Amino acid sequence: MNQPHTEFSEFHWLVEVLQTVDIGIVVLDMEYNITAWNSFIENNSGVDSADALGRNIFDVFDDLSEQWFKHKAETVTQLRNRAFTTWEQRPYVFKFKNTRPVTGVTDYMYQNTTFIPVANSAGDVENLAIIVYDVTDTATSKIELGEVNDQLALMSRTDGLTQMLNRGYWEDLLAKEFLRQQRNPREHSLIMLDIDHFKNINDTYGHQVGDDVIRAVAKVILDNLRATDFSGRYGGEEFSLVLIDSDQQNSFQLAERLRKKIEQTAVPLPDGEVFVTVSLGVAGWKPEMSEYAQWIEQADQALYESKRNGRNRTSLAP
Amino acid sequence: MSLPLLVVDDSSFARKQVIKALPKGWDVEISQASHGQEALELISQGKGEVVLLDLTMPVMDGYGVLESIRARDLPAVVIVISGDIQPEAEARVKKLGALAFVKKPLNTENLLTVLNDFGLYSE
Amino acid sequence: MSNQILDEELRDCFQELSNVAVGRAADLLARLLNTFVIMPIPVVNLLERAELSMALSSIEDAESVSAVCQGFTGSKIAGEALLIFNDASFTDMAELTHYTGEITKQIELELLMDISNILIGACLKGLAEQLDVRFSQGQPYLLGQHLNISELLKKNTTTWQRLLTIEIPYKLEGHQVNCDLLLLFTEDSLPVLRNKVSYLME
Repeated sequence: MNQPHTEFSEFHWLVEVLQTVDIGIVVLDMEYNITAWNSFIENNSGVDSADALGRNIFDVFDDLSEQWFKHKAETVTQLRNRAFTTWEQRPYVFKFKNTRPVTGVTDYMYQNTTFIPVANSAGDVENLAIIVYDVTDTATSKIELGEVNDQLALMSRTDGLTQMLNRGYWEDLLAKEFLRQQRNPREHSLIMLDIDHFKNINDTYGHQVGDDVIRAVAKVILDNLRATDFSGRYGGEEFSLVLIDSDQQNSFQLAERLRKKIEQTAVPLPDGEVFVTVSLGVAGWKPEMSEYAQWIEQADQALYESKRNGRNRTSLAP
Repeated sequence: MSLPLLVVDDSSFARKQVIKALPKGWDVEISQASHGQEALELISQGKGEVVLLDLTMPVMDGYGVLESIRARDLPAVVIVISGDIQPEAEARVKKLGALAFVKKPLNTENLLTVLNDFGLYSE
Repeated sequence: MSNQILDEELRDCFQELSNVAVGRAADLLARLLNTFVIMPIPVVNLLERAELSMALSSIEDAESVSAVCQGFTGSKIAGEALLIFNDASFTDMAELTHYTGEITKQIELELLMDISNILIGACLKGLAEQLDVRFSQGQPYLLGQHLNISELLKKNTTTWQRLLTIEIPYKLEGHQVNCDLLLLFTEDSLPVLRNKVSYLME
């Protein structure tokens, strides 16, 4: 067998493989004209290789963002460094219709791509190859999983009865805020709030009404906080609030406002209505606190002070 | 008399590579330092008339060494050998008085060319 | 090959090899962003999987981060590169890339991918060239956005017990941009790496 024939046959099977593989290959020159295009791209785009060669990529795919694509391509060719794109960043680079009528759940093929600088024998980058992977299956299952996880995460963060943060998640946020305070202290305050004589309500009117009372108190709290503040259901009838950029005095005012509003809030009964009062404790953040539990502790002590002095009142931590 | 040469790099592997790359017949007395402060002490003891200096080091980096040499007017000629190949890094060290900048990984010929160019060594 | 320890000579050599690789990556990043990259000192360690979060010394546990990881393999050396980006950095990053609109999660991801392409690609290439090997890189994978480190690592458990880790904390001069590149080599790669490095140390 003579040499040229061997080279030709090698070339032949190489091309055969490139045509058969289940990934897309597009090669462009530095002016973004198509110099190669394999069957995968041909079949999915519906544009024959013969028609595509020599044409500008942006003419063939008119919805391909020229600015985005050129930015990627230039980075790759100038820095001679590969670049990858994932479906999470951009669902597809080349818009291909999803071709599966039965199992397809999306309209378009999700793609991961790799941009590769291709150098000639002299070492100069003259071409850019783009490898296209179909990741529709992975993407759709991850999206579905993500949706379920988001729901679960939300459920694990909120208290079912009040739609407030649950204690665990509230404490997570508090812990993070506390760390931020240690690095970059600001005037934040913590309020603990407890419904007075809650056991009596449960015993007198039943748990159903007890739940209504808790919901009503939670609603007053949620309606009166700013977006940056965060509140949680700390225990059965106990609530915890963190007020951002609000010193102890300001927070006292807010606590009093809450107390008065709750006092005036009627909770409906089957025959009439019931009113409740709350006791509150306010503690500003102090630099000497070394862990967030001490902050809760101080607000708790102030709350206890309010209870001891006859309830339906607000006390400040010393 | 041998020329006092100081090799400064936090990596002993890198120092070995530098020493290996020095011209064979060069009459030098080699000292080594693993950070900038150590280097300054040796320079002030006269052990670094020629300094081959890395940039990225703990305690005191190469920029700090160059600044101190200038501020204290120490008699040292500095060639920077660094993996920091940003053009800005080279510009900065030259501004601080470095004679030359040699890129890592160290290439024996590059180092030789620099030593020749500045008349520090000739075959 | 269990119970391996990382002797000082080897650690020192890896650190220097990384240092050179990091310099290349820094150069590309500086050119992309037209800014100066403060050269980090790479930290080399041999760690148990469970200690991984400790390797991330420059990122505090409570900070919100986003991360990409990418596998690589070649010449019987394999591992994963992890780029962890402090979310507070995105504002400055957007400014450096002349992006003016609202910074959505999508834009953050775009920036994250741009940076990881460069830092991971150039670092691996720099290491591979010095070790005289070639790595092929897998597709990058988004580990998560807006998580803290423990959440991030909890989500992703591997079967590897012991890892050679190289941590490279990047900072940009005059900008609030903070990211950590972590190269993790599997335990199986260690003998090969040791062998490659011994040629250089002769």
